[in-house]
Amino acid sequence: MILLYLPILLPLATASLMVMPALPHRLRYPTALTGSLAQLAVTLLLLQGVLDAGILSAQTGNWPAPFGITLVADLLSAAMVVITALMGLAVILYAQPAVARAGGGPLAFAHVLLAAICGAFLTGDLFNLYVWFEVMLMASFALMTGGRGWRAVKGLTAYVVLNLLATLCFLMAIGLLYGLTGTLNLAHLHLQLALVDGDATVTAVAMLLIFAFGIKAALFPLYHWLPAAYPQLPIYTAALFAGLLTKVGVYSLLRVTTLLFAAHQAAILPLLLVSAALSMLLGVLGAAAQGDVRRILSYHIISQVGYMALGIALFTPLALAATIVYLLHHIVVKTNLFLIAGLMRHLGGAYQLERLGGLYAKSGLLATGFLVAALSLAGIPPLSGFWAKLLVIRSTLDAGHLSLALLALAVGLLTLYSMTKIWQAAFWHPAASPPAGTAPGAATLWMGAPVALLALITIFFGLGIEPIFQFATHAAEQLVHPQIYVKTVLGG
Amino acid sequence: MPRLTERWGRSASAAAAALLPAAVLAILLPRVSAVLAGQVYRLEANWIPSHGMNFGFQLDGLSLLFSTLIVGIGLLVILYARYYLPERDKGGRFYAYLLFFMAAMLGVVLSTNLLQLWFFWELTSVSSFLLIGYWHHRSDARRGARMALTMTGAGGLALLGGFVLIGQTVGSYDIGQVLSNGHLIQSSGRYHAILILVLLGAFTKSAQFPFHFWLPHAMAAPTPVSAYLHSATMVKAGLFLLARLYPILAGTASWFLIVSITGMLTMLIGAYQALLKHDLKGLLAYSTISHLGLITLLFGMGSALAAVAAVFHIINHATFKASLFMAAGIIDHETGSRDMRKLNGLWKHMPITATLAMVAAAAMAGVPLLNGFLSKEMFFAETLDQSTLGSISWMIPVFATIGAAFSVAYSLRFIHDVFFNGEPVNLPRKPHEPPRYMRVPVEILVALCLIIGILPEYTAGKVLAGASTVVLGGQLPTYHLHIWHGLNTPFVMSVIAMFAGGAIYYGRGRIFKLQTFFPARDESRLFDDAMRKGQHFFRTLLDHFDNGSMQRAVFWLLFVALVFMMVPLMELDMTIGLRPQIPVDFVMISGATLLCVSSVATVIWHHQRLLAILLLSVVGLVVAIVFALFSAPDLALTQLSVEVVTIVLLLLSLHFLPKRIRNFSSPTIIIRDASLAVLIGGVVGTITFALLTQPFDTISGFFTENAKSLGGGTNVVNVILVDFRGFDTYGEISVLAIAAIGITALIDGIHQAKIPSDPNALGWAIDKHPMMLSVISQAMLPLAIVVSVYIFLRGHNLPGGGFIAGLITAIAMIQQYVAQGYTWLAARMPLNYPSMVAGGLLTAAMTGLGAFLWRQPFLKSWHGHPHLPLIGEIELASAMVFDLGVYLTVVGACMMILSRLGRLSSSSEAR
Repeated sequence: MILLYLPILLPLATASLMVMPALPHRLRYPTALTGSLAQLAVTLLLLQGVLDAGILSAQTGNWPAPFGITLVADLLSAAMVVITALMGLAVILYAQPAVARAGGGPLAFAHVLLAAICGAFLTGDLFNLYVWFEVMLMASFALMTGGRGWRAVKGLTAYVVLNLLATLCFLMAIGLLYGLTGTLNLAHLHLQLALVDGDATVTAVAMLLIFAFGIKAALFPLYHWLPAAYPQLPIYTAALFAGLLTKVGVYSLLRVTTLLFAAHQAAILPLLLVSAALSMLLGVLGAAAQGDVRRILSYHIISQVGYMALGIALFTPLALAATIVYLLHHIVVKTNLFLIAGLMRHLGGAYQLERLGGLYAKSGLLATGFLVAALSLAGIPPLSGFWAKLLVIRSTLDAGHLSLALLALAVGLLTLYSMTKIWQAAFWHPAASPPAGTAPGAATLWMGAPVALLALITIFFGLGIEPIFQFATHAAEQLVHPQIYVKTVLGG
Repeated sequence: MPRLTERWGRSASAAAAALLPAAVLAILLPRVSAVLAGQVYRLEANWIPSHGMNFGFQLDGLSLLFSTLIVGIGLLVILYARYYLPERDKGGRFYAYLLFFMAAMLGVVLSTNLLQLWFFWELTSVSSFLLIGYWHHRSDARRGARMALTMTGAGGLALLGGFVLIGQTVGSYDIGQVLSNGHLIQSSGRYHAILILVLLGAFTKSAQFPFHFWLPHAMAAPTPVSAYLHSATMVKAGLFLLARLYPILAGTASWFLIVSITGMLTMLIGAYQALLKHDLKGLLAYSTISHLGLITLLFGMGSALAAVAAVFHIINHATFKASLFMAAGIIDHETGSRDMRKLNGLWKHMPITATLAMVAAAAMAGVPLLNGFLSKEMFFAETLDQSTLGSISWMIPVFATIGAAFSVAYSLRFIHDVFFNGEPVNLPRKPHEPPRYMRVPVEILVALCLIIGILPEYTAGKVLAGASTVVLGGQLPTYHLHIWHGLNTPFVMSVIAMFAGGAIYYGRGRIFKLQTFFPARDESRLFDDAMRKGQHFFRTLLDHFDNGSMQRAVFWLLFVALVFMMVPLMELDMTIGLRPQIPVDFVMISGATLLCVSSVATVIWHHQRLLAILLLSVVGLVVAIVFALFSAPDLALTQLSVEVVTIVLLLLSLHFLPKRIRNFSSPTIIIRDASLAVLIGGVVGTITFALLTQPFDTISGFFTENAKSLGGGTNVVNVILVDFRGFDTYGEISVLAIAAIGITALIDGIHQAKIPSDPNALGWAIDKHPMMLSVISQAMLPLAIVVSVYIFLRGHNLPGGGFIAGLITAIAMIQQYVAQGYTWLAARMPLNYPSMVAGGLLTAAMTGLGAFLWRQPFLKSWHGHPHLPLIGEIELASAMVFDLGVYLTVVGACMMILSRLGRLSSSSEAR
């Protein structure tokens, strides 16, 4: 199944080509763009394949599982790689004015990052997942520093140190799990863990793993690296990170809680529930106190990740489907909001709310794009966020947590409030004189096209929700009943 | 559409905007008689079948009434706004928002299921936000819009909670199903939660006390918007909801208490405040609140006749309030002011408008022959009928009369202050009559007030009956709409209210004076202040936890990790497993001691960088020895070479750092951190110990058994690296490559920024390139390269391989740099490291992809033993090409980093 490898290998090959000094400067950006389009195409084919034939797997080097490294694509993985490739394309289009002159250098790292994210979504092997986490970390760090020198490094130390801690814990947990079960293949682990006696040890190791993924997902109280780092980044990088990085953490949480530790949920889920609720609340409160668009958006990521973790913590099929819908919705919306923030800076000259203004008069289209993304984030119908929130709230009520449902609603309100804050200051408030920022031009077209594309996706996602519901329900069923997954990987 | 036609001017956009309501009206009108006869039109399409939801519209008596109001008044507002909007505003955007809002409102009243209703409900909030903030250059408009959105948004979310609960209780979101299963809701334990959540939604939307304060601030909107939103639509959505869900929610004691008391309070507070306002629209805003309270009170009473009266008053209020807002808009438009202290004696300047406004105001006051009088009479009659409050039930009619008296007073004020009472004071413009067609909508509405007032049975009777039937769930009580019910108690109450109202108006000076004793309140300021205080509070709260300090962040992180792991470990009582333990000998003990001592020492002396790095290298060396001791020569070799390269790179970077750092932490923090570290170490140690002593069964047997036969090599480690788990290796060399390229870019950035090396940093040795070293290292280089080639080639069978070979080559070359300096070597070894890295990566990838040519999965290896002439049989495996890729990447990456660091230091030297 070559299709399982291409989403990872294509961007890696593109990146390798792009760092070749032999490649002429003017060909670099086209290479990046072509690579991204090709990745999107193969991920779509992969999704089609999974829809047609069910869960797909491939054994690297033809070594039978659990000995080699298995790649697996179930519905969740396939959807995640498609959306990853899509975000990659959007960001690469958007970055054109910023990087084309420099020969598109940073985009090589972006491609490595995309490869690593796809690797994390597709791998069926715990250690391989760790490898992709490492690639992700390194690529993200390279993207962050991106030739910006000393100042960047200072701000990003927190990102690196805290993420290294997460990686270290992840590695420790892998070592311990291997010590317990003697295997690394996820499907095989599913079987082996059932044989281990001594629940307490398994739970402790599970906690370590969940802790590591919790850092990646920026759950409360493990989120410090996120608001420290994201506002420092070039905006297209921030958009890519904001959309995808924390979601890899959420995906990993979903994967291990369903596939490995379903039997140990009694100990894990309550902690996750508390952490999710606090993330929702404190993330949005943190956002309320900020005055920089990027910082506001960064804190909202934490809050939104809380909703997704809440779905996992409830652990019913409906709740897991809610998490999946939320994941898909949020990746698109959050990437778009960061891209929009970049355009706001481009046209308005700043990221700080008190220095922005008059954007409504300057660009009605940008205003529309912002409204779509912001209202979707706040969960206003008929946009995608509404359905995601509705499903989460329904599953909390199904589980009998009225107070959590009310909390989720209140957080939605605070999100709305926070979005109107940006709207009022940046769009409605008259511009400071003399008006800062540049006039719309050719660069705006490169930057505006992906924003429009993602906004349209948000709208259609909301209007045509039924197929997405069904998809998420099936994907959640695959997670809840891992027998098919295990059988596809291990055979027999 | 109005956006498209606005280039042809205001009239064109207005005409385009009128198309939608006209079309809706064209659909509605032919169906009126059938609907009034009890027929219900339904139009449904599959929406979300997996959750049992259809997207549909239904037209029954209630939705007919509301949609007629929405569309009819909407048309009038469109016409009115054509003349109201300033010349330069072509109105495209305005009409687009207005239509958006109108469509959302229609959606609310026509929906067949609750979620769909909510869906449109939120859209009305969003579109009203855009409408209220239409003049967004004004800060009061922005604040008003935001407050309206926040309040109605909050209510909307509560409503969603209520709807989801209803859906779960009934098992369906379909309104028809829900209405016919009212008993399920009232008997369920969640009834109160549902009631409160739904009422929160309705009350915020309909501006009921204590959520009423957003409405006066929404007056910053253009007047057509106020006329539309606050007469017939937005604020009526909440009442519509009460009417819609009346059959399932009403009839309980809690309903009565909450709804009627809220309505009563709102009515009284609104009426009192209305009298105090000097702003024309402010007066109308508070009178709206008061009338909304009245309708809510009627719904709250719970009797059938009260519900009919409520529906009737909805109609009447819509007509007279829309015309009053429009009249106020005309006055504002033609005089430039809305302040009633300036507007006086307009009767002489605009007699027609004045007449119209006076009739409408009289309807608001409840003067006989006008529609307001009829519903007010019904209201009085109902208040007399109440006995739910027991012995204090008499208070209801009394309060009702007081409310009515204030209503008369502020209506009088509207009439007398504006049109009579002397001459205008300092008006910006000379007052005159408005354009002909701007007055038409007002004329139509006022005519309606009169006609309904005089001939209620023939005009509104049927529509009222149709709507009330739906509200009451089928049984309509007997009632009579007449202009004259005879000399009964309600009429007496009306008369009292009239006189009392006159008296209040006459004595208004005293009330104004009384009001000056209270501090003036600006809810908008208060709202903003409350929000700001809240933000500040949470910020300080969060600062305890998240203040940007990394030490604190790491502490929290590790603390959480500790808690996460300790909780399950508490349950573990036995840590020692059954596995036989290896005897401990002297070498192990001394090694372990050395390891512990040197790591603790690294921590203690971490602020003396050179010392710390040296101690750290001891840790690395001990680990390498441990690997060697436990028969892992490959790991030992790798560890050793990695150690060397790392330490060299670290030492090189020391040049740019201060020699020592001061210790900033206070003793308390050091103790806190130290204890956390010890605890974490203890926990991890415990888990590891528990695991290592367990009997253990792994997949590693497969690797040792099959390395030779299937992988074509006897060195298991290498076969695992390049074959069994080659994919991991591929990922890892990408990490290395990115690290190298990233560091290069970073250093280039620093280079450009011209950061000088730290003056306190470690200087270079005086003898820069010692003779001995350079001679020896030059001689060593070929030797080292031969060794690395040898290690590379034998790697598949004996300890070695691409990774180790690459490191050895790198060490040899680093030695050259150390001995000869950057410039010397750069001239003599023009190697292109980036190409090497990229080439290595591509080689590895191509090897893997090559397998696809033979229709094999990625990285499927091939090996064989071809017989070459002269040399004899050699062993070849495709994995060796992969290994070559690894080798190239490793050498390239190490050298890239080193050469950049070298260049940086040589340039800082040069300066």
